[in-house]
Amino acid sequence: MKYQSHQISLNFYTASVLLFLVQVLVGIIAALQFMWPDFFILNFNTIRTLHINALVVWLLMGMMGATYYVVTEESESELWSIPMAQFQFWATVIAVTAVVAGYIVMGLYPQANMEVFGTRLLNEGREYIEAPRWADVLIVVSVLLFLFNCFMTVLKTRKFTAVQGVLLGGLTFLALMYLPGMFYTKSMVKDQFWWWWVVHLWVEGSWEMIAAALLAFMLHKLLGADVKVLAKWMYIETGLVLFTGILGLGHHYYWIGTPKYWLWVGGFFSSLEPIPLLLMVWDAFRTTRETRAPVQNRIGLYLTVAHAIFNFVGAGLWGVIHTLPQVNKWTHGTQITTAHGHLAFYGAYVLLIVAIIYVTLPSIRNLKEFNQSRGFQSFWWMTISMVFIVLSITGAGMVQTYLERLLGLDYVTVKASYNLWFWIFRAIFGVGFLVGVLILVKDVLSLVRRPAS
Amino acid sequence: MSNNSAKNLFIYGSLICFIALIVLTIDTMGTLDKRAPEITEKVDAGKKVWHKYDCIGCHTIFGNGSYFAPDMTKATERKPKGYLKKFLLDPRTIKPDAAMPRLGMSEEEADDLLAFLDWTSKVDTNNWPPKPVLAVATAGRGSGQGQMLFQKHDCAACHQIQGLGGTAGPDLTNVGNRRPDIDWHIRHLKDPSSVVSGSAMPAFANLTDEELKALAEYLTTLK
Ligand code: HEC
Ligand code: HEC
Ligand code: HEM
Ligand code: HEM
Ligand SMILES: [Fe+2]
Repeated sequence: MKYQSHQISLNFYTASVLLFLVQVLVGIIAALQFMWPDFFILNFNTIRTLHINALVVWLLMGMMGATYYVVTEESESELWSIPMAQFQFWATVIAVTAVVAGYIVMGLYPQANMEVFGTRLLNEGREYIEAPRWADVLIVVSVLLFLFNCFMTVLKTRKFTAVQGVLLGGLTFLALMYLPGMFYTKSMVKDQFWWWWVVHLWVEGSWEMIAAALLAFMLHKLLGADVKVLAKWMYIETGLVLFTGILGLGHHYYWIGTPKYWLWVGGFFSSLEPIPLLLMVWDAFRTTRETRAPVQNRIGLYLTVAHAIFNFVGAGLWGVIHTLPQVNKWTHGTQITTAHGHLAFYGAYVLLIVAIIYVTLPSIRNLKEFNQSRGFQSFWWMTISMVFIVLSITGAGMVQTYLERLLGLDYVTVKASYNLWFWIFRAIFGVGFLVGVLILVKDVLSLVRRPAS
Repeated sequence: MSNNSAKNLFIYGSLICFIALIVLTIDTMGTLDKRAPEITEKVDAGKKVWHKYDCIGCHTIFGNGSYFAPDMTKATERKPKGYLKKFLLDPRTIKPDAAMPRLGMSEEEADDLLAFLDWTSKVDTNNWPPKPVLAVATAGRGSGQGQMLFQKHDCAACHQIQGLGGTAGPDLTNVGNRRPDIDWHIRHLKDPSSVVSGSAMPAFANLTDEELKALAEYLTTLK
C-alpha cells in the first residue's frame, strides 16, 4: 500500500458492498410483498425504508472511500489525520447500525416511534430521509469530519487540482443540501417542497458533480489521458448539470400545491438535463479512442464506460420521458417513476461506485495482475437483470397509467390483477441481480484481503 | 474554450441558477398558504400521525412517496369518514383481503388523520390527479331506476361490478346469487350494521321506500 490512508478506503469499500447485498436482499422481499403482503415479519413500509436507506448509505460510503483515495493520490500525501478518518468510518458504521435497529423496532412496534422534543424517535416518516433527527445530527457531524479532513489535506499540500475542486465542491454541496430536510413544517406542501431540495438537488445536482469528477479521475488513471482536456470537459459537464438541474427541480413542483409557473420552469430546464449526461458518454468514448495506450485494468474501463452510458439511459432517457408536465400529469406517482428510479440509480451511481472500486482497488493493493473475469460476470448478471426489472416495471407503469389514470379503474384492481405478471417478472430478475451482487461481494472481499503480488 | 473560461462559466453559471432558485422559492413560499386551507391544530396533529406510522412507506401523497398503495391526496373525497375511520383502525375486519396491516392507532389519531387528509384534499394542486379522460364506462351505468340510484349514490366508490369500481366493499357482480332476498337488501341499505354486524358500509337511510325497493331489485338481478 502506497499510503496508509488507503486502508480507510478499503474499509469503506468493504462496508459499502456488504450494505449493497443487504439492500438487494430486502429489495427482493419488497418485490415479493407486492404479491404476498404478509410474506415477512416486517411490513412493506419498513422493508422499503431499509432498501432505499441502505442504497443511499452504501453509495455515500463508496463515495467517501473513493474521495479519501482521490485526495491522497492527487495531493500525493497521506490524509491530514488518519486516526480522524478511522474514527469517522467507525462512527458512521455505528450510527448506521443504530438507525437500522430503530427502523426494525419501529416496524415491529409502531408505538415505539414516540415524539421526543418535537421529532420522532425512530423514524421520521419521510421517504429517503426516514432517519430520525438525532441521526441527522450524527450524519452531519460525520460528513463534516470527513470534509474537514479532506480539505485540510488539500490545504496542507496546496495542490489544488481541478478534479479535487469539483469533487470536494460536490461533496460540500451534498452536505449543505442535507439541511433543508432537517426541520418540521406544519404544511405538507412545504414539507414536500423542502424534501425535494434534498432528494432532487442530491441526485441531479451534487451527486452528478461528484460523478463528473470521478469520471475524469478514472479516465485519467486508466488511460493516462491529458488532465487538461479532461478538466475542461469536466467543467463543461458540471456547469451544464447545474444549469439544467438546479431549476430542473421544478419538475417536482407541478402538483404538490405550488404555483403554476413551475410547470414552465420545471418543464423547460429538466428537459435539458439529458444533455450533460450525453456529453459524459461522448467524453468517455472520445478519451478511450484517443489514448491508444494498452489498458491493463480492462474491467475498470469497462465499468467506467458502462456507468456513463447507463447514467444517460436511466437518468437522462427514462427521466426525460416523464418530465414534461403534459406527460407527468398522467404518470406522476406511478410505476413509471419506480422504473426510472431503478435505472437511474443503477446507471448513475451503483455503476459509478462499482467502477471506482475496480479502478482503485488493484492499485491500492498493488495487484499488477488480477482475475478480471469475476468482475465481468458480476457486471453482466447485474446489468441484464436490471434491464429486465426496469422493462417489467415500465410495462407495469404503462398499464397502470392507462387503466388507472386514463380509464379510471381502481388502484387496487390494477395492482392485484392486471399487473401481477410484471411483479412476478421483477421478483425473478431480482434473484438474477442478487447473483451478480454475490459475485461482486465475493470478488471485492477477496481483492481487499489477497496478499499483494 | 480555455480551461479557465470553462471553469468560470461553471462557477458563475451555477451561482446564477442557484440565486434564481432562491428567488423563486421566496416567491413560492409567499403563495403556498393562499393555495391551501388553514392548518388547524387537528390538521397538524394528523400530519404528525401520518409521519409516526410512516404512511409514506406504502402510500403516495400529492403523488410522492411509495407506490405500493393508493394515493392519499383526495382520500376523503369519495368515501365517507365513518368508513375510512373504521378502515384505519383495523383494515382487515372491514376488508378481509386488505394488504394494509393493522397499525394499532387510537380513535383520536384516526380522527386527526382524517382532518389532515381533508386538508390535503382541498389544496390547489393544479388539478392533479386529473379526471380519467377515457372513462366512458362507470360501474352500474344504465337506464333502470335502480341502476341510476346506484350511480347517483356512488356505490361504485366502494363496489365493483364486472371489474369497474372500487374495492373497499365486496364485488357485487354476482351479488344476486349470494343475496336473492329483496327485503334483506332494503334492511341492509337502511342500516347495514343491523344485518351485518360491524359493517363499515354507510347507511342510506334517506332514500325513500320506493327508491330502496328499486335499488334492491336491481341488486338481486346482478347474477
Ligand atoms: C404496509 C403498507 C401500508 C401502510 C404502512 C399504510 N397503508 Fe394504507 N393502505 C395500504 C394498501 C395496500 C391499501 C389498499 C387497500 C388494501 O388492499 O389494503 C391501503 C388503503 C388505505 C386507505 C383506504 C383507501 C380507500 O380509498 O379505500 C386509507 C385511508 C389508508 N390506507 C390510509 C393509511 C394511513 C393514514 C396510513 C398511515 C397511518 C397507512 N394507510 C399506512 C397499505 C398501507
Ligand atoms: C364507503 C364504502 C361503501 C359504499 C359507498 C357502499 N358500500 Fe356497500 N358495502 C360496503 C362494505 C364495507 C360492505 C361489507 C359489509 C356489509 O356487508 O355490510 C358492503 C356490503 C354491501 C352489500 C352486501 C354484499 C355481500 O356480498 O354481502 C351490498 C349489496 C352493498 N354493499 C350494496 C351497496 C349499495 C347499493 C351502495 C350504494 C347505495 C353501497 N353498497 C355503497 C361498503 C360500501
Ligand atoms: C441522475 C440521476 C437520477 C436519479 C438517481 C433519479 C432518481 C429518481 C428517483 C428515485 C425518483 C423517485 C423519487 C421518489 O421516490 O419519489 C425520481 C423522480 C423523477 N425523476 Fe429522476 N433521477 C435522476 C435524474 C433525472 C433526470 C435527468 C430527469 C429528467 C430529465 C429525471 C426526472 C424525474 C421526474 C420527472 C421524476 C418524478 C416522477 C413522478 O412524477 O412521479 N430524473 N428520480
Ligand atoms: C442496485 C439496484 C437497485 C437500486 C439502485 C434500487 C433503487 C430503488 C429505489 C431508489 C427505490 C425507491 C424509489 C422508487 O420506488 O422508485 C426502490 C424501491 C423498490 N425496489 Fe429497488 N433498487 C435496486 C434493486 C432492487 C431489486 C433487485 C429489487 C427486487 C427485485 C428491488 C425492488 C424494489 C421494490 C419492490 C421497491 C418499491 C417500489 C414501489 O414502491 O413501488 N430493487 N429501489
Ligand atoms: Fe428530479
